[in-house]
This record gives sequence, C-alpha cells and structure tokens, in this order.
Amino acid sequence: MKGVSHNGKALLVGVGLYIVILGPIIPVIIQSFAFQWHWPDLLPRVWWWSVRADSTFPLAWDYVLSPYSHVFEAAGNTLFISLSVTLLALILCLPAARVLVSPHFKWKTQILSLFTLPLIVPEMALALAFLAVFIPLGLAGTYTGIIVAHLIPVLPYMMRVLVSVYQGLNPAVVEQAQLLGASRWQRLVHITIPLLLPGILAGCLFTLLVSSNIFLITFLVGQGRVETLPTLLFSKIGGGALDATAAGLTLIAMIPGFILLLATERHIRDYQRVGAVGRSIDGSHR
Amino acid sequence: MNLLRNALVLTGLLSGSLIAATPTDQIAFRTAFLDGQLPWESVSTAARSEGAIDFYYWGGDDRLNVWLERTVAPDLEKLGVTLRPHRITATSDVVDLVLTEARAGKGLGQGSVDAIWVNGENFYTLAQQDLLFGSFAQKLPNAAWFDWDENSAGGSLNLYDFGYPTQGREMPWSGEQYVCAVNRSLMAEAETPHTFAELERWLEANPGTFTYVKPPHYLGNTFVQEALYEMSPEGAQGFQQPLDSFTPESLARLLAPGMAYLKRIAPLLAQARNGIPRYPENESALMQLFQNSQTAMECQFGLYHVATKRASGQMPDNTEEIIFPRHNMIKNKNYLVIPSNAPHPAAALVFTNYMSSVAAQKSKLAAVGYPLGLDLWMLSAADQAAMVEAMPPHFGVTQAALDSHIAPDTHASLVRVIESLWQSVVLQGSETPIATLVEQAMSQSK
Amino acid sequence: MSRQHWLSLSPVLLVMLLMTLGTLLFAVGQSLGYAPQYGINHFPTLRYYELLVAQPSVAMSLGLTLYYAVVATFLALVMGFLLAMALLRVGRHHQWLHYVYKFPLMVPYLVGIALVIVLFGQGGLMARLSYALGWIDRPDDFAALLYSHYGWGIILVYLWKQVPFMALSIYVVLLGIPEQTQDAARLLGASRWQRWRYVVVPQVMPGILSAVLICFAFNVGAFEAPFILGGGFPDTLPVLAWRLFTDPDYGQRLSGMAVLVTMGAMLLVTVWVASLLSRRANRWQRISA
Repeated sequence: MKGVSHNGKALLVGVGLYIVILGPIIPVIIQSFAFQWHWPDLLPRVWWWSVRADSTFPLAWDYVLSPYSHVFEAAGNTLFISLSVTLLALILCLPAARVLVSPHFKWKTQILSLFTLPLIVPEMALALAFLAVFIPLGLAGTYTGIIVAHLIPVLPYMMRVLVSVYQGLNPAVVEQAQLLGASRWQRLVHITIPLLLPGILAGCLFTLLVSSNIFLITFLVGQGRVETLPTLLFSKIGGGALDATAAGLTLIAMIPGFILLLATERHIRDYQRVGAVGRSIDGSHR
Repeated sequence: MNLLRNALVLTGLLSGSLIAATPTDQIAFRTAFLDGQLPWESVSTAARSEGAIDFYYWGGDDRLNVWLERTVAPDLEKLGVTLRPHRITATSDVVDLVLTEARAGKGLGQGSVDAIWVNGENFYTLAQQDLLFGSFAQKLPNAAWFDWDENSAGGSLNLYDFGYPTQGREMPWSGEQYVCAVNRSLMAEAETPHTFAELERWLEANPGTFTYVKPPHYLGNTFVQEALYEMSPEGAQGFQQPLDSFTPESLARLLAPGMAYLKRIAPLLAQARNGIPRYPENESALMQLFQNSQTAMECQFGLYHVATKRASGQMPDNTEEIIFPRHNMIKNKNYLVIPSNAPHPAAALVFTNYMSSVAAQKSKLAAVGYPLGLDLWMLSAADQAAMVEAMPPHFGVTQAALDSHIAPDTHASLVRVIESLWQSVVLQGSETPIATLVEQAMSQSK
Repeated sequence: MSRQHWLSLSPVLLVMLLMTLGTLLFAVGQSLGYAPQYGINHFPTLRYYELLVAQPSVAMSLGLTLYYAVVATFLALVMGFLLAMALLRVGRHHQWLHYVYKFPLMVPYLVGIALVIVLFGQGGLMARLSYALGWIDRPDDFAALLYSHYGWGIILVYLWKQVPFMALSIYVVLLGIPEQTQDAARLLGASRWQRWRYVVVPQVMPGILSAVLICFAFNVGAFEAPFILGGGFPDTLPVLAWRLFTDPDYGQRLSGMAVLVTMGAMLLVTVWVASLLSRRANRWQRISA
C-alpha cells in the first residue's frame, strides 16, 4: 500500500516537473521546424520542409547544421575551452586542497573565504576588470585569455569538491598500506588515487559544467573573436526574438548540458556536489 | 629615385612569398600604391603572399553570412587570399579595437582589422582619429563602375558619407534606402500615411500600432532624421552643414519642431505604458512586434527587405512597401573601409576591388538583397539589363516611385547631438529648454 | 608551515589573488580615476561616483536590481523548499525524478531566456493559447510579462534555473541530517514543531543560507536576462554598467566601473553581515538547545 501511494505522489511530482521544466522545450522544437509561425497560429502555418526545396537560401535546420551557422565551430570551442579550464583547475587545486586539509594548516578558513569571492562579485565586474588588464597584455580575444578568465568562476567549485574529497580520505588506510610494506608509488597508485578518483571526477564534471555555460566572460574577454555556444546563442536571441534558426541553436546549446546531466547523475553523489559548496560562506566547516 | 624605390618594393614584394613582409615594406607599399606608382599585378602578388584578409562586419544577417562564406570565400581563394570573416554585433566595437591597437602602437601590418563594413558616424570617427589607410578607392581597377564626378547628382554618395567627404578613403559597397512596410490586413491602402502628419492622425485613430527603433541605434537615428526633415522649415538641406556652422540657438530652431513631434506621438506608440513607450532596441525586436501583428507598420534600411523577408518566412504574405515619408526617404550608401593598421593591406585592396566588381555586386544583389553600391549608369547596357534582372521584386510600390522620394542623411557631426537631444527630450521627457540641451550636447561633442 | 606546503598552495593562490583581488583593485582604481589606457589620470577622485549619484535614474536602477533579486530569490527559496520536501518523500524510490529537475542547472541561462521568450512573449505560445480560448483579442492584451519593469519574464528565467538549485541544496542538506537526532528528540517528547525548530533547522540553516546568498548575489549581478527581457530605461545596474562601458566617452566608462565597484562592495557587505548573523544565531541555538 505504501508503495502505491509513493508511486502516485511520484507520478504527480514527476508530471508536474516535466510540464514546468521540460514542457517549454516543445514549442522551441516546433519553432525550429517552422517556416511561418506567426500570431495567432498555435501550430506553424507553413512548415520548413515544405519550402526548403524551393528556397535559394538554407532555412531552419539546413542553416543551423551548415557550416555557415558556426555551430560546430562554437561547440568545438566550448569543448576545448572547458576541457582546458578543467585541466588547469585540477592542476592548480589538487596540491592546494591537500595542504588545506592537513591538520597543521592554520589558514584554511581564510583561504576558503577568498575562494568564495568569485561567487559573490558580479560576473560583469570580473569580466570588465579582466578586459582592462588583458588588453594591454594582448590577451584579449585569445583562447589563452579566455581560459585564464574562465578559471576564476570555476576555482571555487573545484576547490571545494577537492577539499571535501581530501577530507574524506582516511589517512589510516594509507598508513596501513605503508605498514604492510607498500612503496610510496604503490600507495599512490593503488590506494590514494582510486580513493580520490570519484571526487576528482566530480570536480571535473562540475568545472566542465560551469565553464561550458559561461557567457559574459567569454563575450567580453573574447571580444567576439572566439565563439562558444553561449555567445552564439546570445548573438541570435539578443534581440529578444526566437526564429527558427535561433530555436535550433537553443536546442543544440542544450546538448552539452544534457550529456553532463547523464554523466553527473551516474558518478556523483548529491552529498558531494552540493554539500561541498553549501559548506559554506559562513565559514562553518564540519 | 622613384624608379629605384619602386623596383626595390617590387622585388621585396615578389620575394615576399618566401619572407613575410615587414611593416617597413608595407609602408613602402602603401606609399607606392597611393602615389599611383604600383601596377595592379604587384598588388595581386603582394596579396597572394599576405594570404589572408580579416573582414569585420555586422553579422546579424544570415543571408550575408552565407553569401560571404559560400560565394565570396571561394572566389577570393582563386585570387590566393583566404577570407576570414568576423561577425560583430556593433561596428563601433571594431572602431574601438582599431583605436585601441593604434594607441598601443600598432601600425600598418601589425593590427588585426583589414576591412570594416561602415558608414556615417563610424567612418567619421575613424577619419577624425586619423585611422584610415588612405585614398585608395579611385585607384582600384573596378573604380570604373562608380561615378566620381563632383558635379553629377549620382556621384555625391561616392564622395560624401553623411555629408562628410570620403576622399576615396572608403569604397562604396551597397546602397540603401530607408523603407517602411505595412501589414495590409491591418492597414488598408486608403488609410496609409505618407507623411508624418498623416502618421500622427493614423496613430490617434489606431494607437499602439507603430513604433521605431530606439536611438542611438542607427535605425532609430534615421527615423528621427526623417521626422526632423519633414518638420523643419528648411527640410533636408538645412541638415547638411557641419556642427560648427551652427550656434546652439540656430541648431535648436532646426531641431525643435521635429523633437516636439516625436515627443507628442510617444504616448501613441506601441507598448506604451502610462504614456511611456518601450522602444525596441534593434531590428530584431522591431520585427517581432510586426510579426505578432502588434504593429501595422515598420521602418528600416532595406530597399528589398520586404522581398527577402517574405522569402524567409519572416513577414506574412500580405506585407507591402509604402512611400513614407514623401520626399524624405533617406538614401545612402555604406562602404568598405581599410584602417591604417591593417595587417594585410594588399589583400584588403584585392578584397575591396573584388567586392566592387560587377559579378560580385550582382551576386550580392540576388543572394542577399542588398542594393547596388556601384552606379548602374556606368555599366554597359548588357550589364545594366542583367542587374535589373537580378533585382528582387517590390511589393506595392515601383522602383521609380522609390527613386523619386529620396533625401540624404544629415551631416555626420550632427548625429551625436541629435541622439543626445532625443534621449533628453523624447525619452526622458526633459522640460529643459531645447537651446540649453543643444548647447550641452554641442559642448560634449567637441 | 613547511616550504612544501607553500609550494603546493602558491600557484592557485597566486592565480586567485592576482586575478580576483588584483583585477578588482584595478577596477577600483579605474573607478577612482586612474585609467592611463584611456589617457585619463585624475586619481584619486570621486567624480565618477558623483556623476552617478547626480542622476536619479541610477537610484531607480538600484531599486529595480534589488527588487528582481529579492523577489526571485525569495520565490526560489519557497518553491525550492517545497520541491525538496516532495523529493524527500518520493525521490528515493524514483531515480528518474532527479534527472528531470536538475536539467535547468546544466544549461546556460540563455537557454532559459529562449524558453521564456517563446512561451511568455506577447506573441508567445501562452498569449496565443489565451487568444484561442477567447480570453484576449490582441497580443497587447496579454500582460506584458516580459518587457515591463515588473520584470516577470526576468524573474521566471531566474526561477527556472534557481528553483532546482535551491531544491538540490535543501534536499542534500536535509538528507544529511541523521535520523538518530530526530528520533532522539521524538523519544524525549519533542513535538513535530519543536523537532523542526531545534533539531532540523539549525543544521539546515548554514547550507540554505549559502544557497540563498549565492542566488541573491547572482541575481544582483546578472546581465543577460535583464538585458534581453528588461523594460528598457532605467535598466538594472549590470545593464547600466554595460551601456556606460560601451560609450565612446571614456569618462562614462569609468562611471560604469564605479557602478560595478559599488555593486560588488554592496554584495560583499551583505554576505559578510549575513554570515556574521548566522554564526551568532548558530552559537545561540547551540547554547539554548
């Protein structure tokens, strides 16, 4: 009986969620296949496929999936930048996290507070400040500049996940291995890394997520020279309208998020992900 | 001495395929070219060795994007130059970029911008800041298709951009006319306004069915200019003088009636709440209102825009063009300009020359729907016929009618003052006397 | 503190200090008049701040920014809380529920903006449905959800992204409360309300507070949604800053910097005060319980 009522409630919650969160995607899909869909029609008056053969110009999906839309270039840039940022963040944060959790270290709270700064300061302030510094350095509009700029919003997340990962690492396990005669290398490869790996993966996925969704920093620091999916989407819908090609682009911009959703749900425990971030601006660490 | 120097330049350029041209070479190249000493073959060869051209242009038109990458890029490859199109959202950003790079000490051959699609205010800024490559336009082979005669009526747009002399520093690329389109299911033929006075009467009877793009966007500026022309006693001619030929009082007298009109109709515009309209920020927002049948009429640059938008499904099938406002439809040209710190100057010249060719202008006309930049009467009869053939159709008006109601832009130096005045008087509803506001705006422009 | 410790720490510290504090100091310097790249050096001067204060529209921009931020954060908290409670009841048995509600967290804000445009624009799907149902006659009659200063379009975008975020934060924190403490309290005779007030809430507060502060800070500093969906002049502070920053007049750009510095300072103070208060409340709770 309890199972049935759970199912019923779950169904209600689930359907409600679907409608509210995912429902709006349906009109976007329809728009991406429309040629003429104006007020007050509930469905397109003329569909894309009925006119595409006669048109001298690629319409809707023909345009979006063509090289002219720059969608593949943007997707490639997004991937490249977020992977580079993730790698860099990992290299920077991993050794630092280890130090931060070591019991003799006195500055943990203060340093972690430093890392909350990018979460509070407006993204525009950071982006314009970077721009002011990067232009004389010649980094504005370069991949390097964008990757370095992306680091700042990303480091708080990577740092917190890694700190919590190291906190969860029980030194006793490593010590036991040492007592049993394992060499430093063996301890590292067979004990430490496998224990850390899920957390590191979590941090990486999180970083990929944050970096691939960044718009303002890429837009300002990149000065329009590097297109990512968010900046491409902005150039299409910045006018406040959603035509067929913009709709197609929106759908494509959802793909990385969708992939990351599948990846994170399988690899991360909820606790690790948000609990780490939630712990905290007020400085209480448990 | 000249001969020796040119021989050295030529040798340097011909061997340029082995060694990259240094800035000194390129400066010598520029001097030689602008002096008229360089045959076009050397320019082509130099362009081949430079290999690429960075073209910065407004990327909001998908047709243009496709044409550039589908038609222009392969043609330029055949000339040995790789086209690198950079889509931007605002031309002023690129002007800024050129300025910043120049300030950072980057001269010819060291910047990042080879060519920009500009007109009006942006060209004026570049010229004032001395950021232009030089007077190259009439030295291009394809300059033969343009009328450079000071005295001919048609030549003026090649020589003056917003009333400011181009001096051949920019090459005309497309012509344009500010055209209004109406939704025939919302506005019948009989009630169509053809002057601003008639528009006001239409709005009183049908409030909320029209609006215009918000200045300082150039689409908004142009609408404001047309209103100023009709409402001012001197008409368009009064606005052709530069800013320093006016005193605050004389300028205020010129601008006041038009501004008063725009302020009067503001509460009648679309999306007005408590008498304050929300002006669309750009063409896309303006079109959205029109597509939703919220507005019955919209105005923008685009001689053939109704044809192209009907073909891409953005406008319903009953959209027509109208003649509005009578005798004050602003017609201008837009241009390709080469900045002073272009990294590939020879390639930029080859690019500009290609864009001015009969073939490129015709394919642009047919594929993108941009009116011709070259002058039809300079072409052979056969070419003229081919061009007319390639022109997109008009709906509800004839080309002859559109040609007979044209007016020029205001002088470039007046644009900023007009923008600022519109912001104060119409947008913010300031009660300050117009002469005072004009004086403030004039002092800021100095 | 060994040298090895500093060696491991210094790269990331260097990056953070240089890029965050360093560039922000640079921004502060610019707002105070030090901008050699523009050929301006009036440092130190408050004139760019004075220019802002002199315009009444800036105060309106501030008001609008706070209004959108507070309303959106509050609604996100309430709705997120309800969602978290629902998930707590049924989520453990139905994994697929977790995929659905987390989707908005994974995509850029611009996607949310696109969804709101297509649904709630004046010519959007909701308006057309209303017309089909006979509720309205013209697109204008559909409440201008998006482009008015009431900003419901903006708030909807924030909610679409932040309700899942709040729900996730609250859910995770609620999960973390060991059953034992609640059971112990029940055994000791505490009522449901008392269990809630003295056991659950103190443990849950810090996590929820962080989430609220993050959302609030984001909403104050957000650019895309107010820019695309906002009501025009007067804009929110970030949009105002951007407009000032793209002005060819360099003095205006420095005013733009001043706007951003003010916003940043405001937010930092808010967060600091909130964290102080929460720590005090925590201490009090533990003492009194």
